[in-house]
Amino acid sequence: MTNLRDDPVGAATRAEERPVITLRGVKKYFPVREGVLQQIVGHVRAVDGVSFEIRQGQTLGLVGESGCGKTTLGRCIAGLTDTTGGGIYFRLSEADRMFLDEMDAVGQDRQTSEQQAKVESIERAHRIDRLKGETWRTYRRNCQFVFQDAFSSLNPRHLVKDIVGRPLRVYKEASGTDLTERVVELLESVGLGRQHLYRYPHQFSGGQRQRISIARALALDPEFIVLDEPTSALDVSVQSQILNLLHKLQQDRGLTYLFITHDLGVVRLMSDEIVVMYVGEVMERAGAQELFASPRHPYTEALLAANPDLLEGDEEAEMRGLEGTVPDPARPPRGCKFHTRCPVATPRCGWEVDDAVAWLSDNSTILEGLGGVERSSDFESVLRFAEPGTAAEAESLLASAAIPDAMRAALVELDQDGPELRIRFEEVDRVRLEDVDVGHMTSCILHTSQADLDSRP
Amino acid sequence: MVEAAARRPPASSPSGPLAIRVRRFGEITKEVLRNPTTTIGLVIIASLLLMALMAPIITEANTPDAYQMPRDWGAINEPPGTPGHLLGTTSTGGDVLYGVVWGARTSLRLSVIVVGITMVVGTIMGSIAGFIGGKVDEIIMRLVDVLLAIPELIFALAIAAVLGPSFGNIIFALTVVFWVKYARIIRGQIIHVKHNEYVDSARVIGDSKLNIYRKDVLPNSVTPVVVQATLDMGNIVLVAATLSFIGLAEAGLAEWGVLVSEGQAGISAGRWWASTIPGAMVFLWALAFNLFGDGLRDVLDPRTEGR
Amino acid sequence: MTAPAAAPLSDKTASRVASVEELRIHFDTKAGRLHAVDGVSFDIFDGESLGLVGETGCGKSVTARSFLRLIPVPPGTYAGGRIHFWSKEARQTGGSPVDLLQVPASQMRDIRGNRIAMIFQDPGKALNPALSIREQVAEVFYQHRSEDLLDGWNGTPPRPIRRAAGQRSGKLEWLAFKVPPLRSPARRLRKRVDDLVGDALAETQIPNPRKIMTSYPHELSGGMKQRVMIAQALACNPDLLIADEPTTALDVTIQARIMELIRELQLRHQTSVLYISHDLSLVRRICDRIAVMYAGRIAEIGQTRHVFHDPLHPYTRGLLAAIPSLAHQRGELAVIDGTVPELIDPQPACRFHTRCSYATDLCGRLDPPLVARPGLRPVACHGYASPDELGVAADQLPRLDRDAP
Ligand SMILES: Nc1ncnc2c1ncn2[C@@H]1O[C@H](COP(=O)(O)OP(=O)(O)O)[C@@H](O)[C@H]1O
Ligand SMILES: Nc1ncnc2c1ncn2[C@@H]1O[C@H](COP(=O)(O)OP(=O)(O)O)[C@@H](O)[C@H]1O
Ligand code: SF4
Ligand code: SF4
Ligand SMILES: [Mg+2]
Ligand SMILES: [Mg+2]
Repeated sequence: MTNLRDDPVGAATRAEERPVITLRGVKKYFPVREGVLQQIVGHVRAVDGVSFEIRQGQTLGLVGESGCGKTTLGRCIAGLTDTTGGGIYFRLSEADRMFLDEMDAVGQDRQTSEQQAKVESIERAHRIDRLKGETWRTYRRNCQFVFQDAFSSLNPRHLVKDIVGRPLRVYKEASGTDLTERVVELLESVGLGRQHLYRYPHQFSGGQRQRISIARALALDPEFIVLDEPTSALDVSVQSQILNLLHKLQQDRGLTYLFITHDLGVVRLMSDEIVVMYVGEVMERAGAQELFASPRHPYTEALLAANPDLLEGDEEAEMRGLEGTVPDPARPPRGCKFHTRCPVATPRCGWEVDDAVAWLSDNSTILEGLGGVERSSDFESVLRFAEPGTAAEAESLLASAAIPDAMRAALVELDQDGPELRIRFEEVDRVRLEDVDVGHMTSCILHTSQADLDSRP
Repeated sequence: MVEAAARRPPASSPSGPLAIRVRRFGEITKEVLRNPTTTIGLVIIASLLLMALMAPIITEANTPDAYQMPRDWGAINEPPGTPGHLLGTTSTGGDVLYGVVWGARTSLRLSVIVVGITMVVGTIMGSIAGFIGGKVDEIIMRLVDVLLAIPELIFALAIAAVLGPSFGNIIFALTVVFWVKYARIIRGQIIHVKHNEYVDSARVIGDSKLNIYRKDVLPNSVTPVVVQATLDMGNIVLVAATLSFIGLAEAGLAEWGVLVSEGQAGISAGRWWASTIPGAMVFLWALAFNLFGDGLRDVLDPRTEGR
Repeated sequence: MTAPAAAPLSDKTASRVASVEELRIHFDTKAGRLHAVDGVSFDIFDGESLGLVGETGCGKSVTARSFLRLIPVPPGTYAGGRIHFWSKEARQTGGSPVDLLQVPASQMRDIRGNRIAMIFQDPGKALNPALSIREQVAEVFYQHRSEDLLDGWNGTPPRPIRRAAGQRSGKLEWLAFKVPPLRSPARRLRKRVDDLVGDALAETQIPNPRKIMTSYPHELSGGMKQRVMIAQALACNPDLLIADEPTTALDVTIQARIMELIRELQLRHQTSVLYISHDLSLVRRICDRIAVMYAGRIAEIGQTRHVFHDPLHPYTRGLLAAIPSLAHQRGELAVIDGTVPELIDPQPACRFHTRCSYATDLCGRLDPPLVARPGLRPVACHGYASPDELGVAADQLPRLDRDAP
């Protein structure tokens, strides 16, 4: 395998490339239904306000733990799932994007009618859920998807020729022997051949099946491919074959990739730019080299610490994990979503009543005497205990040095009144993604202007 | 770069799509025949079908209606082995052999009509419910639930009460009842299959809904329907025989249930043949299709198929 | 097969906990006899953690399961070899080992969970969904530690209590425990069990073990379930812990915590660990030695550091080079061409010869045994043999020192 690529191009030149896909505050909520009547009792916020753009000829790596919304976002981009909010745009120029951002800031009621008309025309021409007819078909052809599970993404009853040739049939691009020849060409470009035309998917190994998937995605000569964990189900030696193939295809055809994975080593190797997601939100976004060399978010640091092979220097470095579990996306934490597990959390990171309750439940048996919780907001509520004594005990626990310093500092009110304990935390806004360097954004308040300087540890 | 060989390369690589389909059919057949009970079922089915087809050759067809038992009032209650009446005669002079042979035809007609109609209707209704979903799904499934709640026998009795006893009405009643099962099966399958990623793959390349249904969803959903249809080919004959036994068919019809009912009075007098032989035919018919259907299920089971 | 009787695989003189010799496990399949494990030999030393790595299907789980005779027979057969196991007493007294493939079923029941414990990839499947965590962990104590349950009793506890500690109580006795005079000793036993279970859970750093005890598996996250499994496995202080891909189903940050935990507990209890994984970079973090497995065989075995810095076997070299790392340029990952060979009725040849870039004719007709040659750790490759050893001309041997073509 020869490397067709010369020295990596600097991030500055890359930024000149035009965006193929632009996300603006994309949200996808899944309703949670319960009971016989299947009533909606809440929403899983699988994707919760994600913005970034993917530039022509580049690979954007999307990384995060399972359940953080990577697949959902990929499916939204490919038009397989509709969005709850925000917009996904195809070939939106930088100028138009800035105009839309500006208009959002102005607010719809205060826009002039020309401005409104311009917004409308931009959206109609670029926003994928508003594309119609020919423009939609153009998008459909140009955005393809490679699924994680190459077994279930190939119809078990179709021959390879029908699978790979299907896109060509749908768009009436080829038929008869012409079709066969085109399919053979595609198969050859992914390292398979004519001898594989008349076989069923189950006759292939995992790596070969993924090659067939890739060949199908290439059939319409698309501009952009979403790769959803394309190698996660494969062994290393096969993974390396597929990764090399994907790179070669990108070089030969000028493809743009959204590369979704939970594997940091893979994403580092394959991406120009990396977006780190956690519970539906972007934590950090930077050039690949930059992200690994100088991460600006504790979550990214935690991911790196769990994969010490990827750190420069000491190869005997201990691997370190994170305490706690990923929060329920149906009730995501306030403030910074990472604050429940963040090792360097500050009092301004979004501490809320749930955190106090979770801590009491993990570290004491007090909550067995809890009668009820009266919640006036996520930050303020009254815990009602059976006995005044238990309430007093809970108060002293919450005031003690045993609880995390940051949480204690965020507790602005802690009042015991008989069996009732009133707790109130400092109310904070949702954290925003901010620029900290050229092409480097983070949402951690320690690294942005959002933090009070004095609250830094 | 190339992964040299598939995990299990085919022994002799077939050259074209036709060859490979033929080969696959051959593989399935071989797989079916590997199981002795399935093979027995298949052999019995084949003999029964052969008998039904050759009915006019084995016996002389009655006129004007071949499906009516010919009556030979000169030979009543003859035991098996009587010349001209190999399996004996009934108390009304009906030739048991004639009843057995033409009864097989009746059963074949019955099961093919009922299974054919119910399978198509059920598949269409189930597909609409499962593939479109939403309100349409709810309405269809309500109907299905209501129909499923009524036992087949009671339903057929009700129809007979309204339309009068006749074999045509039995067919009608069974058709009304049996499609529901298929609708249910196919709907469940489709809801399961439509979440497969190959369906999403077809959406990503922009294929039409109808094509996705036709190429991806339906072919991967029909297996249990085919198995159920095979089992029903047997079950329906059993249910129909029960219905005619309790008198919902016309008297004198060359149908096994009717014959059993006619002959049962003679059993106490030692004339076992008039009811036992047609009864055994019902049993054999149902058994054969059940044996074969079970074997087919094992072979076609998507979890084991093609691995 | 050309593999000779097991040569001493290490010069280390430490006492061994287990020694696998020429283990062969075959499965009868439609296509023929599948040699899932085909002549595997390795030792596990006292207190060490040995990593068994290799790609999917190379026979890691089958090897591990055969320690506890958990292979389904049929289709499986124990086609040969021995697994010697030295219990703590045997090691201290210099006693002789038992052969795990031969011990009677009753003794095997005692070894399972008590002397050798196993944790699996999917804790969700290994835990019983119908029982509370307390009951599942307590089970281990009832089964193997009934004497411990009766610790600290003045004199002999009443017979029914003794029976209860061994889970031998009848229905009537359970009723008797609800009323005096047996009520208070029964409570005492129950409290003792609770304490032991709580301690076992606390050791795996589960927050609020008392609360977890009352919950059911479905209420816990994957990482938490794996901790419960570990608590259960280590409750009896086993001589050997077999961990079969215990973190593969978990997220990276949680995986790292579980690995730390296993390492920590191993060091604290001086348990020997057989750690199975397909992920080389993980195994590297917690194992003292590594055995690389390929297609039912051990390719090489040695100190973790040595294997990583100087992989001897061409397969190990390929595997290490295929992991995306800091050193790689995009599109320049090393690949191992081809796929894993069929394990059905294999030919006497190097299992790797169809994919090996160093292979010579010799590799296709002669099976390389796993032998330790002077100055080298055990490796199964002709490239390290001398011409005399195999009785062939020098130019027939593969030359590993040259660069890959
Ligand atoms: N169709 C769906 N219905 C309800 N919830 C869903 C659906 N798809 C995904 N989710 C939820 O959305 C969250 C994100 O899932 P996903 O995008 O698959 O994550 P990832 O790909 O990062 O592992 C998860 O909590 C998941 O349970
Ligand atoms: N119960 C079984 N029946 C047939 N083959 C089996 C069985 N269990 C394992 N095998 C085969 O044995 C080989 C090794 O399997 P295993 O030890 O599970 O691999 P891994 O290294 O991934 O843990 C595989 O080829 C597998 O197909
Ligand atoms: S804002 Fe930064 S410091 Fe605060 S919780 Fe989030 S990641 Fe941690
Ligand atoms: S050189 Fe020969 S013996 Fe060594 S690994 Fe390669 S094929 Fe096997
Ligand atoms: Mg996913
Ligand atoms: Mg395994």
